[in-house]
Amino acid sequence: MCGISGIMHKHAGASGLAPIGEELVRMLDAMKHRGIDSTGITVAGEDSKSDLIVRIWSDPEEDYRARFRAVEESVIAKGGVVKNRQSTEEFLRLNVNYEGDVNVLAAALYELPGVTIHSIGQNSEVVKDVGTGVELGDKHGVGAMKGTHGIGHVRLATESRVDITHSHPFWAYPFPDVTVVHNGQLTNYHKMKRQYEDQGHRFQTENDSELIAVYLAEKLARGAKLQEALYDSLDDLDGSFTYLVSTDQGMGSAKDPLALKPLVLMETDDVVALASEEVALRSVFDEEIERVEPQQNEVMTWLI
Amino acid sequence: MVDINAREMTIREINTQVKELVNEGQEVRILDPQARHNLVIGVLKECKVTVEGSVGYLCASLLDGPDVTINGNAGWALGENMMNGRITLTRNAGASVGATLRGGQLFVGGDAGARAGISMKGGDLIIRGNSGFLTGYMMQKGRIIICGDVGDAVGDSMYEGEIYVAGEIGSLGSDAKEETPSEDELLEVWETLQDFGITERFQFKKVVSAKKLYHFDALERFEKRVV
Repeated sequence: MCGISGIMHKHAGASGLAPIGEELVRMLDAMKHRGIDSTGITVAGEDSKSDLIVRIWSDPEEDYRARFRAVEESVIAKGGVVKNRQSTEEFLRLNVNYEGDVNVLAAALYELPGVTIHSIGQNSEVVKDVGTGVELGDKHGVGAMKGTHGIGHVRLATESRVDITHSHPFWAYPFPDVTVVHNGQLTNYHKMKRQYEDQGHRFQTENDSELIAVYLAEKLARGAKLQEALYDSLDDLDGSFTYLVSTDQGMGSAKDPLALKPLVLMETDDVVALASEEVALRSVFDEEIERVEPQQNEVMTWLI
Repeated sequence: MVDINAREMTIREINTQVKELVNEGQEVRILDPQARHNLVIGVLKECKVTVEGSVGYLCASLLDGPDVTINGNAGWALGENMMNGRITLTRNAGASVGATLRGGQLFVGGDAGARAGISMKGGDLIIRGNSGFLTGYMMQKGRIIICGDVGDAVGDSMYEGEIYVAGEIGSLGSDAKEETPSEDELLEVWETLQDFGITERFQFKKVVSAKKLYHFDALERFEKRVV
């Protein structure tokens, strides 16, 4: 089933950052009946002033501290300077001063055995773990994360493994700051994935939703506007999908041609929030405002 | 009237209490529903229930008799499989409102999502605003009355029943066709709308099955025609 949510404070950049982490946890917790396998969020908008935030996960069965050392060595070897390091069990967050090509750094980390990159970005980062939203908040302190916008996901696995790497949001390796949460199934996943692999793209998981992230990021990197990329996806992706994308530019949503997966949204002059169910929106809006249900083939974007 | 404050209660507790109270002959009001699912399910007697706020999926489903008013929005499949009774929703409904409706009247004060009245088998589904994609999909009986516009593929693969549309039709679905309603039919529709406080005399278009996909008289391979 899965539940997705997204929120943007439209004026948050100018007037201080908004409590995106805390709001996403509240929205996802309200939808925990849609999936308790795992929960994850992207928080975006806190500009790291040309630094990169690198989020890494390593298999806890192995010596993850050694893996973390290898990650740092790899960053330094590529000319990066590690300014800050935080780790919670097998999760590592690095704040890296890095002037070079992000693709080069991402490729170096990709090569490291036993390591998965959850995200690399200048103004966004992904936190995901098995369990519920409240557990994610308690363990990773996401309640304190601030930003302008963010997306989140609770997962009920249908197509691929239940583990941390296969939880959402999916970061579009190696493109910085593009992440996706998705509710649905892609039926042309294997075909499209092979096409991307033929072009030299690499994937970190066997999850169909990762493909959406790579698909969009690749289009954006080639100069497409967010809205164009989303509209193109309606033709190119096959299956059922309602997904949300977060980039450094803003946030967007797209719904498949048969409107098979739910999405509702509420919007004021300051805030827009989207979720699979109104019960999640109710956890951030107290007042009674218009609730909109996007229809089939509908694309929406909000730029920050 | 008895109030139930839903905030701290489980859905099962709320529904159990609703049933107990209506069996005592009480009128019930549910406060603070927070858009939760499966509220007011399986109530099988004439009674009055009001919900003050939005509800989630499959609310007011499997009913036979009650008069339910929801002052808010509803999620997917409001009033699913109602046998008889009346549901009044003041704001917007999600997808599949009135799915497999068998009887009674279901009124949506705002807009309806995709697949409104899917597989309806009777009763009236009345939508004050616009209705979404695939409205009346595989409908078998009953009436859908839409005062606003309707999306694409209206009446797709419908067998029987009528869909009345006052506004624009996005497109007709497979095997659906447009007809001009008779004066008597229009009068009946206007009369139904009047029950819900709508007095405008909309000039409705009528969508019905073209019955080109009907092959019920086709023989199986080894069957012989008797006549």
